Amino acid sequence: MRVRMLAAAAVAVLTVAGTAACGGSADDSGAVTLRLGFYAAAGDPADTTMRELVKEFTAANPSIKVQLEVAPYVKFFEKLRTQIAGGQAPQVWLSDGVLVQEFAARGALADLSDRVKTVNAADYSGIELNRDAKGRVYGFPQGAQTPVLFYNKKLFADAKVAEPTADWTYDDLAAAAKKLTTDTNGDGKPDTYGFRAYSPGFTESWWPIIKAFGGDIVTDDNRKVVVDSSQSKAALDWMLGAMGKDGFAPDYAFTEGLGKGVVHTLFATGRVAMSYGIYARTLPATSAGVDFGVAPLPKGPAGRGNVAIVNSWVVNKSASAAQADAAWKWITFFSGEGPQRKWAELGEAIPINKKVAAAALSADRHAFLDSLDAATDLGVNAVWSEYTEALAKRMGEALSGASPVDTALATGQKEAQEVIDRFYAGQPQ
Amino acid sequence: MTVLTGRAGKVAAERRPPARKRHAGERVWAVAFASPYLLHLVALAAWPLLASLFFSMTDYDLVSSPKFVGFDNFARMFNDGLFWRTLGNTAYFAVLFVPTQTVLALALAIALNQRLRGMALFRAAYFVPVVSSWVVVAYVADAVFNPQTGIANQVLDFFGLPAENWLQDPALVIPTLAAVAVWKGVGYMMVLFLAGLQAIPEERYEAAKIDGASAWNRFRYITLPGVSGTTFLVLVLTSIETLQSFEQVFVMTDGGPHGASELTVLHLYRQGFQFFQMGYASAIAWVLFVLVLALTMVQFRLQRRWVHYA
Repeated sequence: MRVRMLAAAAVAVLTVAGTAACGGSADDSGAVTLRLGFYAAAGDPADTTMRELVKEFTAANPSIKVQLEVAPYVKFFEKLRTQIAGGQAPQVWLSDGVLVQEFAARGALADLSDRVKTVNAADYSGIELNRDAKGRVYGFPQGAQTPVLFYNKKLFADAKVAEPTADWTYDDLAAAAKKLTTDTNGDGKPDTYGFRAYSPGFTESWWPIIKAFGGDIVTDDNRKVVVDSSQSKAALDWMLGAMGKDGFAPDYAFTEGLGKGVVHTLFATGRVAMSYGIYARTLPATSAGVDFGVAPLPKGPAGRGNVAIVNSWVVNKSASAAQADAAWKWITFFSGEGPQRKWAELGEAIPINKKVAAAALSADRHAFLDSLDAATDLGVNAVWSEYTEALAKRMGEALSGASPVDTALATGQKEAQEVIDRFYAGQPQ
Repeated sequence: MTVLTGRAGKVAAERRPPARKRHAGERVWAVAFASPYLLHLVALAAWPLLASLFFSMTDYDLVSSPKFVGFDNFARMFNDGLFWRTLGNTAYFAVLFVPTQTVLALALAIALNQRLRGMALFRAAYFVPVVSSWVVVAYVADAVFNPQTGIANQVLDFFGLPAENWLQDPALVIPTLAAVAVWKGVGYMMVLFLAGLQAIPEERYEAAKIDGASAWNRFRYITLPGVSGTTFLVLVLTSIETLQSFEQVFVMTDGGPHGASELTVLHLYRQGFQFFQMGYASAIAWVLFVLVLALTMVQFRLQRRWVHYA
């Protein structure tokens, strides 16, 4: 009797678990439930807009029911990793562009290569930046970020300095930055710096500068670290000069002391007259009422060093065929002109629909589009988070003066390469 | 009460089921009553512990099935410079934090172990940081240690001393973190010491006074032995807490500047939850567990020499 009761209970538990596991698949009526994950802070305008777009989508596709799973960035990815481990990840989610290959290389994502062939790739930015070494595409662009040179028009006018042009070189940048650096209260410390050179967010700091000086970070399908070069040293020396003897940029300790996220407000609060910034930095500057312009990154000995991150929609490899189809429907819906226009109103990312981007960005913001066209990816690979962290630590040592540049570059290269080799050594070629 | 004797008793005894069977029903009930705790123990303690032991011997990226690799993760750890660096950081943090907090908590407890008006208010004031979250504490710490606007540098400036980059200086970051951790945690340990102090019989002090013992001697020969049990508890708790320290560095420095404050648990967290290396993270967790266990055992062994349970 007891055994039978236990068996019945086990069957009941398994039935419930099975039902839960099957939740979201297409039922007999063809209806499908799609769990859609994305990151946004609670109450953030992006959250509101996303919910409105989901409503539009489900109204146009009544057979698809969407369950939103939203969390702030860090929490979202923390939870996502455990959801993946437990086989409970959403069927479609918004991934930070630099993480797409990390998830893909571990078999968590569906290959979208064939689906991408069904759209006109020329209509969208960033598809190529998502292609891996074998030509596969695991993410479809959602929004793009690329750094350009932000400058404060009022500070330029006050200092009677000519505004940046597309012909500017790093020497021009340094010359203007020196003139823009001012100590109004005479305490021996600048109140306004000409330029913000160092940032913990290296996309807006040492990465494009090293590339502009002719160095590189990773090559050979982003598997070979090559940062230890004379060109990289020249780039870091230029930055150290800016923060040290030339004194036109706040130093490492000052910038780090501002705390997470605050570094990005340096430009918005007028503490620096120029700064490299991705498109999302237009929001705080606009909110603060700064009259600013954007110009292409200055030219270094090897060009501008443009880089880009393309945040992308990805589809869970475990999604059923019906869910994967519904997910792709959502992706193509979001990439369409209407939703893209609505998303562009937030002003937090460059629309990936080229037609919408051209219309949404005023002519004086087209530096973003030119930069995006010329950009390479940010060295993305299966261990991007880990190898860039190893590298960033050593760059921090060099830029804070804690370690000689030569030593930091050599050690950083060695440690980053070890991370990459450890992963790819166990992978089929 | 009926007592069965003779043949009737023998027959009855023969008919009675064996003790094992007689108590079977009671055992079922006992297990049923204990089941919430047993379930909790198995599901939330024993099972995860065994699972992590298994994962520590696998290459597990959270997505694919774990691949058994024997002791490779442990071998990697012993060659991982970053692991040793984080262990060194943790040891340095512990060496600064544990004695400072213990001594300060005892000093505060003695100071506040007075029958004066408003003393409860002072005790509560020291306890407030204990119940504050690390996020709040981080904001308070920023108000003190911010290189540009913090009070600490204003004080240095007042005395004509150069400003410091407290949390941005690799040489100062751990001492600064230890100072903040003491500020946050000292109130709790102080309460434990207060309880210990109040358990010391007043007559001992009175007798010592009559015998002419100085204040120092009363502290040395009555107070210290009297709170030695509490001191032992505080040392064990604080040591374990230090070796498991995570939230503070996660919120305040994220391991920076360039890894100077990366403690072992933060390293473990990154390996497991950011870098998809749950096997390696589990191995680190087990090594840390063994270290905590060893340290606690040493403390328990040594306590026989100096702890007085009176």
